[in-house]
Parts: sequence; C-alpha cells; structure tokens
Amino acid sequence: MMLFHEMYGAYFRIAAKVLQEEEITEQALREIVVQEGFRDSVLFVPQKLLPQKDGSDWGLLRRTASGTLRRLTKHAPEMPLTLLQKRWLKAKLSEPVMQVFLRDETLAELQAALQDVEPLYQTGFFRTVDAFSDGDDLTAPDYRERFRMIAAAIRQGEVLRISFCSGSGSRVRALFLPFALEYSAKNGKFRLYCRRFRAGHLTGTGIINLGRISRIEQTGILLPLTDAAANLAARRCSEPVTVRVTPARNGIERFMMEFAAYEKHTELDTETGSCTVQLWYDKQDETELLIQLLSFGPVLEILGPPAFRAQAAERVARQYALLFHDNFT
Amino acid sequence: MAGFSELIKSFEKTRDYIRDFFIYGFKVRGDFARMSGRTYDDEKRRAESWLGDVLRSDDSVRGRQISISVDCGHIFENPLCQAYGAKSFTDNDIRLHMLLLDLLADGQTRTLNEIVDALLADYDAEFEPQTVRGKLKEYTAEGLLLTEKRGKTAYYRRAAETAQDYFAKYDGLADAVRFFSLDERFGEIGAGLLRSTGLKNDIFLRKHHYLVHTLEDILLPELIAAAEQKRAVRLRTFSAKARDKADSEGGTFLAVPMQILSSVQTGRRYLAAYLPEQKRFHSFRLDFIRTVKAAEPVSNFDKIAAAYRRNLGRVFGVSFAMRRDTGSVEPMRLTFRADPEREAFIIGRLEREKRGGTLECTGEGLYTLTVDAFDPNEVMHWAKTLIGRIVSVEGGNAAAREKFFRDIRRMQRMYGGGARQ
Repeated sequence: MMLFHEMYGAYFRIAAKVLQEEEITEQALREIVVQEGFRDSVLFVPQKLLPQKDGSDWGLLRRTASGTLRRLTKHAPEMPLTLLQKRWLKAKLSEPVMQVFLRDETLAELQAALQDVEPLYQTGFFRTVDAFSDGDDLTAPDYRERFRMIAAAIRQGEVLRISFCSGSGSRVRALFLPFALEYSAKNGKFRLYCRRFRAGHLTGTGIINLGRISRIEQTGILLPLTDAAANLAARRCSEPVTVRVTPARNGIERFMMEFAAYEKHTELDTETGSCTVQLWYDKQDETELLIQLLSFGPVLEILGPPAFRAQAAERVARQYALLFHDNFT
Repeated sequence: MAGFSELIKSFEKTRDYIRDFFIYGFKVRGDFARMSGRTYDDEKRRAESWLGDVLRSDDSVRGRQISISVDCGHIFENPLCQAYGAKSFTDNDIRLHMLLLDLLADGQTRTLNEIVDALLADYDAEFEPQTVRGKLKEYTAEGLLLTEKRGKTAYYRRAAETAQDYFAKYDGLADAVRFFSLDERFGEIGAGLLRSTGLKNDIFLRKHHYLVHTLEDILLPELIAAAEQKRAVRLRTFSAKARDKADSEGGTFLAVPMQILSSVQTGRRYLAAYLPEQKRFHSFRLDFIRTVKAAEPVSNFDKIAAAYRRNLGRVFGVSFAMRRDTGSVEPMRLTFRADPEREAFIIGRLEREKRGGTLECTGEGLYTLTVDAFDPNEVMHWAKTLIGRIVSVEGGNAAAREKFFRDIRRMQRMYGGGARQ
C-alpha cells in the first residue's frame, strides 16, 4: 500500500478524463491536459496519448478516418476506492471533528461499511503538544446542526440571521452571508467568515466563532455566490510588518518554520547573516502576530510599521519595569 | 534540458528542495551546494511546473531567489499536495492500468490466463503473463482488485465501490473530505480523492496551517507500521547544521517510534522515539529525517511505551532534554500580573495554555503557574508570548532564568527608543 503511487498521479488522471468519451478531438485532449496537468504537462503528455507511428505512445487511443481519436477501452474509466483511501477514511472517522460533517446514522453506516478495514493510523499516535484546552465541543448536537446549516448556506449563497455573543460580550442578532468556515487546530475552534447583509447590500467581512453562536435562522434570501478569495484578500493588512531576524540561536531557521504559514517576502543580508522579512497578515490577527514575534526575544526586531513597533515597545517596557523596577523580583 | 521530466521516482530529493523553497524563500542557486547545478535547475523547473502561481521568483543582489509565498490560512488547497501526483511510471504501467480496469469493469472474475487472453483479443494488447501477474498482485495489495482462490487458481475481479459512490451514499462525506484535504495528517489523500472525483474544496480554511507537513507524510506509514508492530526503525537524518553541504550524510539512529508530536505554534512535527543504544527518549524533527527503514521487533516495547507515558507528564513541548544539557531542573514558578476584572482574557489564556501546569491566584492580580518540565527553555519560549505580564521567574534552572532576564534587558535596549524612525 503506497502513498506515493502513479495511480494517484496527474498523468493517470488526465488519461482517465480523456477516455471518458468514446471519441475525442485532439484539441479537446490538449485542453484536458492543460486543465488537469501541471504547467508543463502539455509538453509531455499529448505525445504519449496521441497515437505515434513508432509505437512510443501509451496505446490508449486510435486515430479515426475523420481524424478524431477513439478510445480502445469500452467503458468510461472508474477508479475504485483504494485500500489506502479506505484506511484513511476509517482513521478520520475516529476524529471528533468528523461528527460535525456526518449525522449519527450516516456515521454508523460508514463505520459498518468500513468495519473490515484497518484505520491508517490510531489517533493516539499523534499528539498536538500546544493546542489550547478550551476548544469547541464538536460533538454537541446544537453545534453540529448549526455547522451543517452554515455549510449548506455557503453552498447555496443563503443569508442567515445569526445570534451570537461577540468577543467583547455584547449580544448581536443580524443578517450575514457566510462564505467560508475556518478551523484552527491550535484553538480547537471553527470560525465563520461572512459578510454583513444590511439594507439589501453586502458590506464588510467579519468573523464569528461558532462556539459563540446561540441561534441561526434561515431567511430564504439567496444571493449570487461571492468570490471567497476576494473576500479574504480584503482582510489582508494594508501594510506588512517588517522584522529583522538574526542568525543567533538558530533564529532564522526557527523563525522561517514558525512563520511558514504567513505570506512573506524575505531578503538575506550576506554581510551580517540577518534576514529582513515582510509579513502580511489578517488584520484581526494582529495581536496574535505581535505576541508570536515578541516570543523570539532579542533574536528578532520589529522594524515597522511604527504603530506596530510601538505596541511591541510598550509591552517590552512594561515587562522591563516589572522585572527590574517594581518590587516583585 | 534534455531528459527533463515533470515526474519523479522518489520523493527524497524533491522533498528537500521544496521544503527549502517554502521555508526560507531567500535561497539562490548557489545556496544549494549540496546538489549539482543541473539538479537544482531540474528541481526548480519541476517545482515551477507543479506549483504554478504560488512559486515566486525574485531578483536579489545575490541572484534569483525562489520562494513559495502563500497565506496558508486563506487558501483552500495545499499546493504542495501536487508533489504526490508526480510519481513516474512506465508506458506499460498506464496502459495496463486502463485496460485492466476496463476489462474487469463488468464485475466478473477472471483468471490470469483469461485476463492475458482477453487483453489480446479485446484490446489487441500483448502482455507477458508475468507482467500481468505482477500488476494483478500489486493492485490486489492496493485494494483495486479482489482475489479469491479456487483450488490452486486465483480469480480476480475489480473492487466495486468508487469515491463517487461513497459521496452519493453518505451525506456530508464530501464536505468532510474537503475539510480533511487540508489536514496535517495525510491531507494529500483527501486532496487526491477530491481531484479524482472532480471536486474542490471551496469552503474550508485552516488557521495555523503548516503546508510543509504534507512533504513529511511520506515518512509516516513506515513509522506507524513500526509502532503498531512493536518494531524499531532505522532513521537516516539530515544534519541540521550541515544541511547545505553536498556531502552531508547526517546520522543514522536505531529508534523505537512512540508518537508523532506536533506543535501548532512552532510549525514543527517530531517523531518521539526511544533510542535503545543511548537508553533514552528523543524527539526527531520530521523534516530532518531523510529515510525510515523497518528494523527488528522490540521485545520490551510495552515497557518502553509505559515509561514514555510517564515521561510525557514532564514534556512541556517536545523536549525530553538531557541532564548534561539542562543541569538540575526544579519545577518552574512563573508569576503573571493580570487584573481579574479588566483582563480576564489573560487569566483565560493562562488556563487554556498551561498544559500540564497548575495555575493559582497568589495575590491581588497575581497568578502563578507551576510547571514541572524537563526543559525550562521550552517553558520560557512560551512564557515570552506573555511579555509585559511576567512578574517573576523562579525554579527551572539558573541558565534559563538568566537568559530570560538578559533577553528582556536586550529587548528594552532594542525597543527603548519607541517607534523607529
């Protein structure tokens, strides 16, 4: 049972798609290669699919008198689920988060269908060492129901009336168009990305913790699906944070690993060995970014923007005073 | 670039390159001294071909630097999963795959000889019986085919269920697969399932998402199997310090796998293992493991596993620390300042992030966390996320405490001028 096997590969997928129809034109074949393949696949794959006089092709198509291509196979290809895929599904059934997707009866049916399959791994073999302890209860019936309502609304473009308690403690009941659901393994929580729907118009984007939602009502208001990528891009900070990281204490390697999840641009100064990095982030995550940067200590200096650096300076000054000026030490 | 192929035979070299493109982003051709220039060019071109838009190329004073720059929290697909779709194969492999599954699509059982004859008769495809036997055996192991023996003869038929069947039958499963396609545990399997069925994830995002873990997944099946079979493994590692050297061979270790430890805050994943030759536990970074090979069974596995579980209580992050590194370590007592009325969120943070520690209110607006950990440095790294709140640090070891005080003095000098002009 192999994880890295050609049957899961792009070229096999292209061939399967080309063989879907009994006959296909060369142009349609090339379009499939462009859609399904890698960037350069069009340089390599068509010549293996198209019949070649020297027999160097894959032998899956024949040229017809009219110039189109006819498949040698009799049926549209169907790929059975492999053992690896079944074992993966079986392992996922043991993860609590699976319960937000499947109702109990579906979960039981799927368990029964996979009863003879060994899970790919036991969940206990993996341990997240620093996840927070107050994650959402993903198994709570209300939570699961609300999750499914939101997922359905995203798919249909339906505006929902959502009642929730905001981070500042105020109660909100308003109309929102959801467009994405985000999960954080660190927080063990789902968050809903949505746009406010006010007086018949969509306004800015916002985030609601699912665990804070007390009620969701369907409105029947359907809107054209919004471009989630554009909505997300609107949340990006206008000016990146710039930091300088020094190589002391393996700082660059540690920094690059820890901040690998961020969109960034890096430049190395070969004279000092330091690295200057610009980081872009979601505006709502500014405080989280600040404390994460400060945890690197003096290995890293926040250079700007000035307001962001000032926040760091204020925390450091407070810390310095606590340790060296107050009477607590 | 004659002979260039988008496909690769093994994952090892590519994994190393993609990781560096992704993690560092400032490396130029000359920084990859461990391989020839030609190898670099091929790996770079392959990465460009697989990853398309997310691979970025910038000219710097040092040369052209290649990076993978994505906001991992705001993408619906992990582009690095593409690497799993690039396994090389022979012309016979793909032809036999398509023809075999087509021949057996009727659900009928056939013997090897019947299959070989039908391939010739129905598809004009002549294959050696040995070649077909090998493929039948391989596909039976992969679960695409089912085999039954009647007397001495094996009969083959195609497994019936497809992913489409499952998605149609089990309501919600397609969304679950969309969600898990971004998972740090074998997300590439979910991504492959989606692609093969023409589905896309366009709903679910992952925060604190480290895409690069997908490249390490290639090591996991062997580690999982070893732990389940109570075996040791032989690890070959990259040397952390000499990774860029062409002749870097790293080290080899006999290890008994216990668990995969992952940190959602530092973005690293580790194999926690027992080292029989050194008689101690150790955590290996997965991205520093080059290969894993199965080794001998471990007779006292259960005893080791019990000792591991006992040790875990003192592991704050992933470090089992050696005494010669840390010296004598006492439980750490960290006291934080927070106003219970106005800053309840800080107390909330301490509660949810304390791991195995004990938190108590020790004065007006003072909260003390006691942590008994092998490695005080791990505790202090976390504590620095609370800079501005730390009133005192006691216990642990002197080196960790002094380092912290020194760091705060240096940071005060660094930021003492306020906003930088």
